[in-house]
Amino acid sequence: MTSTAQELHPAPTLEPGRTILELKGLEKQYPGTHALKRINLAFKASEIHAIVGENGAGKSTLIKLLTGVMPRTSGDVIWEGKPAALATPHEAMALGINAVHQEVVLCRHLTVAANMFLGEEDSRFGILQQRAMVREAQKIIDDLGFDLPAHVVLGDLTIGQQQLIAAARATVRGTKFLIFDEPTAYLTRKEADQLFTLIRRLKGEGVTIIYISHRMEEVFELADRVSVLRDGTLVGTRNIAETNDAELVKMMINRSIEQVYHKEHFTPGATLLEARNLSGKGFENVSMTVRAGEIVGLYGLIGAGRSEFVTTLYGRHRKSAGQILWEGKEVQVNSEHDAIRLGMALAPESRRDQGLCLNLPVGLNLNLPIYKRISNNLLISSAQEKAEADRQIANLRIKTPTRNALASSLSGGNQQKIVIGKWLAHGAKLFIFDEPTVGVDVGTKAEIYRLFSALLSNGAGIILISSYLPEVYELADTLHVFRRGKLVATHGFHTADHEEILTQALAEKQEKPGGQI
Amino acid sequence: MSTEAIAAAKPKRNYNALFGLTLLALLVLLWVILSVATPSFASANNISNLLRQGSMIAILAVGQTFVIITGGIDLSVGAVVGFATVIVAMLINAGVPIFLAILITLLVGVAIGLFHGFGIVKMGLPPFIITLATLTSLRGIGLLMTNGNSISINNDAFQLFSRSSFLGVPNLFWMVILVGIPAYVFLHHSRWGRYLFSVGSNAEASRLSGVNVQRTIYMAYTLSGLCAAFVGVLLASRIGIGNPTQAEGWELQAIASSVIGGTSLFGAVGSVHGPLLGAFILATINNGANLLNVNAFWQRIITGVLIIVIVYFDGLRRRGK
Repeated sequence: MTSTAQELHPAPTLEPGRTILELKGLEKQYPGTHALKRINLAFKASEIHAIVGENGAGKSTLIKLLTGVMPRTSGDVIWEGKPAALATPHEAMALGINAVHQEVVLCRHLTVAANMFLGEEDSRFGILQQRAMVREAQKIIDDLGFDLPAHVVLGDLTIGQQQLIAAARATVRGTKFLIFDEPTAYLTRKEADQLFTLIRRLKGEGVTIIYISHRMEEVFELADRVSVLRDGTLVGTRNIAETNDAELVKMMINRSIEQVYHKEHFTPGATLLEARNLSGKGFENVSMTVRAGEIVGLYGLIGAGRSEFVTTLYGRHRKSAGQILWEGKEVQVNSEHDAIRLGMALAPESRRDQGLCLNLPVGLNLNLPIYKRISNNLLISSAQEKAEADRQIANLRIKTPTRNALASSLSGGNQQKIVIGKWLAHGAKLFIFDEPTVGVDVGTKAEIYRLFSALLSNGAGIILISSYLPEVYELADTLHVFRRGKLVATHGFHTADHEEILTQALAEKQEKPGGQI
Repeated sequence: MSTEAIAAAKPKRNYNALFGLTLLALLVLLWVILSVATPSFASANNISNLLRQGSMIAILAVGQTFVIITGGIDLSVGAVVGFATVIVAMLINAGVPIFLAILITLLVGVAIGLFHGFGIVKMGLPPFIITLATLTSLRGIGLLMTNGNSISINNDAFQLFSRSSFLGVPNLFWMVILVGIPAYVFLHHSRWGRYLFSVGSNAEASRLSGVNVQRTIYMAYTLSGLCAAFVGVLLASRIGIGNPTQAEGWELQAIASSVIGGTSLFGAVGSVHGPLLGAFILATINNGANLLNVNAFWQRIITGVLIIVIVYFDGLRRRGK
């Protein structure tokens, strides 16, 4: 585009197709775990190289080694023909290796411009050149085609927009090798498109991109090559044109794709919950029913009001108008406690912020909702506490050495099993799952879906929120589409196609660029 | 949301017990060294004295630990102790039966704790701020009530209690056991104890799991206030006066004991035996330093160094080295 852009990204010295970074017998051992086993892999200059694999396959470890966050156990890393130690993050950055993480690691209280130049501020005689930096940052952002202001505080932007800033930040640092770790997990489609444009553009400028994602369609949309990791081993690398979904999934999990979306149809029973013209913060005038034995899917973009709707049902927020009926009778749900007593259970959106006590044992997390039941007036029955925890760990096949291991030491998928599992012993009738499979690998997804069926067959009802259309499409008996806080359409199982649903969810968005603030 | 486990999941079984044993070993080691180094340390008189010195901070530290486990802090406990000495002294001098005077004083402690809970839960104030505010105002209220004078307690029976022993052990130390055992059961074997940990670890996750977070916060500060008022009664009994400026800086000693005992100021990590051992380690160091004629100024420095060393090594082990 403009000449500034070229100045900002110093042209890499290598022509496309040559090896920029080579891993030779790379190994990483943690106490008790062999996280990476003899990885041999060469990344070419100016390619988009996707890395896929289940949780625990070694993707995060690989990123940590490449960005110098952790030292490798053995093996060599060859950067532009010379061995590199990669002992510190600083060294990696000096070589031109950067990473954009799934969760934004920037300073939320500083402005966008301050974040972009964090660590290399423009100052004259020790005085920050704030206005100049804002101008410069705005130029970069405009140039990248993001419709975002540089002078606002980062925390005021949506998570998706923050992610774009994080990506923009990485591009201004002479990056030759940029790693994206699940960048689209929290992005709207529009934001994801902007990010993809940026990624393609960087590739055009000679930057090597490592793209890590659970979403196959993104891999096929973006990548030139794809490598599959399983249990710390590199299973194989394919040119994207010569492979397909089915092959990659098979390489990842040794299982076919049809087995993932496990769906059984049950005859719906009595109505459990009814919302009548319910309004609250972030949504208005929503009516729906949930019956025993059915999955009600809520589809829409992030920020469409789905999470706000269910958290209001659950008593976390106050409704401003409308009624909630439970088993035919109007109820007041003034707190989570009321909701739980009625028989609702909520597995929230963010494991880290809402779902888990990370620095406490797995067993305590699993038992948290049922401590009342497993204790008399005074004391907890420790036999029951142990038995309940062990039962859930065995039933859900949670991979943990013991129930006393800290929740933080488990992989993402196993953590998600805890978030869901803690409600199973509680005996709820209505389960609300908010994005239950974000950042979860295919194998665990399949297990979670089978769990849904088990719940339904026991007479429970499920509300399933997902921003991932195939998930709600394949699983929901009734599919409601949300857009900007309103319920805009309702479909039965497979009565509409993907395109129609997507259009309904997006409609206004496409006419109005830059919305979603 | 990392896509895989960062490190191997290691069983943390019995970690608490192990750390407790280490502290106990440290305490015993100090005692052995001091017994050898000074002729007077191992005397019955000195040991009784040591137990009396450590007991009051130990009880404060237990209440403090409940608060710290929820991720908060209670800076007011020293002031509550001083204030409680005034209340109990005034009541006894006014002819209120001892039993009733103590009960009312304890209720005052509960009320102060409830006020802290109110400030944190309803007014949204940080624990540091609300308890700092009561720290200074309680001292002020106490000075107003006494006109800045000490109140001598005219009741020998009341004062006799803290000077006497039962089965050869000072009554004050029995009070530690009286508080410690229910506190242990409460923290480790009741669901409210579990809720203290879960709120300290992640309040939002606890709330969504049906834990009454507000009530848990109220409970932690109320128990801390109660422990502090109880210590106030014991102190009044020991020194025979009510004085609002007593127990200056005890809040910091209580926090130090708690931290030495393995409590994490970030919340969700702590025990009952830890702060008790921590308090007696501090008391032993002070006592030993006195016997060895170490300058009192040095004692403060030693305490500071000890906090750094113990917390540093504890942190190393928690990170799994």
